Amino acid sequence: MSLESLRAANNIERDATWAEMSFQERIDTAEFRIHERAHITVNGDSCRGCTTRECVVACPANLFVPTSDGGILFNYENCFECGTCYMVCNEAGAITWTYPEGGYGIVFHRT
Amino acid sequence: MTIAVCLKWINASGQTDIDDDRFMGFSYADQAALEYALRIAENTNDEVIVVTAGPVGAEAVLRDAIARGAQRAVRIDIDRSHDSAVIAQAIAQVVAHCSLIWCGDYSSDRGSGSVPAFIAAELSFAQALGLVEIQVPADSLHPIRALRRLDGGRREQLEIRGQAVISVEGSTARLRRASLKGSMAANKQAIDIVTVNQVATETPPTRAYRPRARAVAAPVGNSALDRVRQITDTSSSKGHGETVHLEPREAAELIVSKLREWGYQS
Amino acid sequence: MTDTDIIVVGAGPAGSCAAIAAAKAGKRVVLIERGPFPGSKNMYGGVIYPRILDELIPDWFEHAPIQRWIVRRSTMLLSDTGALNIDYRSNAWGQAPYNGATAYRPDFDNWLAQQAVAAGAELICSTTVTGLLRDAQGRINGITTDRPDGDLTASVVIACDGVNSFIAKDAGLYKAVDASNYTLGVKETLSLPKNVIDERFGVRDNQGVDIEILGGTSGVNGGGFIYTNLDTIALGVVLKLPKLSAQKKRPEEIIAELKRHPAIAPLIEGAEVIEYSAHLIPEAGLDMMPKMVADGLLVAGDAAALCLAAGIWLEGVNFAMASGMYAGQSAVQAITAGNTTASGLQSYTKKLNETFVLKDHKKLRKIPHLVLSDRVQHKYPGFVTGIMERMFRVENPHPKPGVRRILREERKKAGISLMDLVRDALTGLKGFG
Repeated sequence: MSLESLRAANNIERDATWAEMSFQERIDTAEFRIHERAHITVNGDSCRGCTTRECVVACPANLFVPTSDGGILFNYENCFECGTCYMVCNEAGAITWTYPEGGYGIVFHRT
Repeated sequence: MTIAVCLKWINASGQTDIDDDRFMGFSYADQAALEYALRIAENTNDEVIVVTAGPVGAEAVLRDAIARGAQRAVRIDIDRSHDSAVIAQAIAQVVAHCSLIWCGDYSSDRGSGSVPAFIAAELSFAQALGLVEIQVPADSLHPIRALRRLDGGRREQLEIRGQAVISVEGSTARLRRASLKGSMAANKQAIDIVTVNQVATETPPTRAYRPRARAVAAPVGNSALDRVRQITDTSSSKGHGETVHLEPREAAELIVSKLREWGYQS
Repeated sequence: MTDTDIIVVGAGPAGSCAAIAAAKAGKRVVLIERGPFPGSKNMYGGVIYPRILDELIPDWFEHAPIQRWIVRRSTMLLSDTGALNIDYRSNAWGQAPYNGATAYRPDFDNWLAQQAVAAGAELICSTTVTGLLRDAQGRINGITTDRPDGDLTASVVIACDGVNSFIAKDAGLYKAVDASNYTLGVKETLSLPKNVIDERFGVRDNQGVDIEILGGTSGVNGGGFIYTNLDTIALGVVLKLPKLSAQKKRPEEIIAELKRHPAIAPLIEGAEVIEYSAHLIPEAGLDMMPKMVADGLLVAGDAAALCLAAGIWLEGVNFAMASGMYAGQSAVQAITAGNTTASGLQSYTKKLNETFVLKDHKKLRKIPHLVLSDRVQHKYPGFVTGIMERMFRVENPHPKPGVRRILREERKKAGISLMDLVRDALTGLKGFG
């Protein structure tokens, strides 16, 4: 079924009701207090041999980005501190993950 | 002697419209000021007293500062919606006995940096505002040397002796972390409260700045363009500005006399 | 002499209840939180059942920062275009003694931690615990933190440090950590005026609605949820970790698809995302639980995987509060008796076994696996909504087909063998007890 016919069948108007937001806008709704120490480190050598790249898909904060040379680029600043990345990682020890410095990191308001 | 640090209780999450104790803290600039005060006090054996203005919730930033090494804390119980001159007056009464009064150059909740200047005016202290680099002296006998930001990327060197109000930029120092035992002790520390009745809340009179009128002769010229040029000076290259090499005192006198001559100062 | 009697790591529902219980018994308690305030790191999927607080805070319902009291509890099955909603309403749940409630965790957890402070516990925020201290015999007698001069000793450490519990792992209480025991919860807090929420969900005042969703997660095993706060709606999905990457769909895309579903879209139309959040959930119940006791150490809440994800029942905060309270009480007993070794702390395990905390988990042991199994996830929503579609579609002049025929045909269409159906039905019947 095409998206158009799906919409027609279910009486959904074109995306006029609510517009999709960009990922940046989405992340900007959360407050992050950023510390200079990275609480995630990634061992680039392990990533080069990794084919599944679970972290790239699973990280809800979209912190992991594959690079053209087969490595993984990551940032730690907008991390929800959920732990998904090290849990899904197939390469033992590729992702080292600790909690950020006390008082820093994600600060939820209305969750 | 006593060194004072003024800490403004603000929303640390960057939202200026929410007044919720959980999200409050103090600016990076105030943090840098506290760090310098603590560093200097370590060398001079001075006492560090931290001051904030606001409701009971504001005591959290004072306890935080005590946990990091300050000895005493004063909360001025005052409505924070007062303008900065009133807040500065209130703070000035509390810190009048101090040798140095450290402040952040301006708070991150759209502060304008006026409180430090008002405190200096109120107490007739010297002022060293908007510092970007500070050398902590080895003892109380040596002055503080500092750099101050000027327009056009220039820096002004300052030497601070005697009683002074000092404000610093947030990037100049990272505030030390409190020790665990320090935090536990700070939870029990008494905080002095100065009530609003004890401070004058009158706004000092201010006058809008108006330079004196200067008489200018009507332009003469054949075309309108010439006359406009004459008024606006666009065609002439008379070489405004004059370079002089003088001792500071003579230079200051010259500046004041010129300002009078040009009508900026009566 | 130790610095304090009891150190509680983490000021969430488990930690604060542990601290309240211990402080009320007159012990010196230090409650350590890594966020700038309690609750700042916490999010969840919807409903708190706070009756367990009766014991610690008898008048909790007068003071707790509750958004809405749940009076409508729905379970929704979604296929691509259809939805079956089983909806139960009881306005009695909106009055004392109440049942479930929605709340913002940064509000609720902070309030609960303040109750611990009022009971005499010392709360230290902005402090991350980095490890455990052990005495010469190897028994745990304190913690290390990321603060200068940051070691602290105690007779008992209670680890309430959440789903990633580095303390329980450090103490060797977990066997290997298996990602398939965890789900990722992602959630949007959506802003809408209160009167609009009241109208769309058929409630008024502080009555609230909780909808648990099966299906609608774009082929990733898991589920969804929607619940009402006063002037926001929370909408989220729960996704089984190893399946997530296999589908090559990102969490926010799965939320977006759920929001587009014809049964969901009208509920949230015009709402603006005001906060996005994510958290892990220990989903596998009894099968993943660590040892809860070691010499000088107790583990409670998410840190002990005490989270019930049994399809129609999704509970965690109440298990955290209860286990925390029992841990606090057991620690007090052990200290008073002068034996804080694992054997001295065994009253904790005993208490968990005697109460709903482990009884519910034992009863429902098989349910988390059943709910997240491929058949339940991918075949049953279509099967059930297919049956509904045909039962309630009037195809006049054709007569109604027999129900048995519909069942047989829809079962075949969904690709479910009779054997599997019977087996799952039996597991369900036995599992739900």
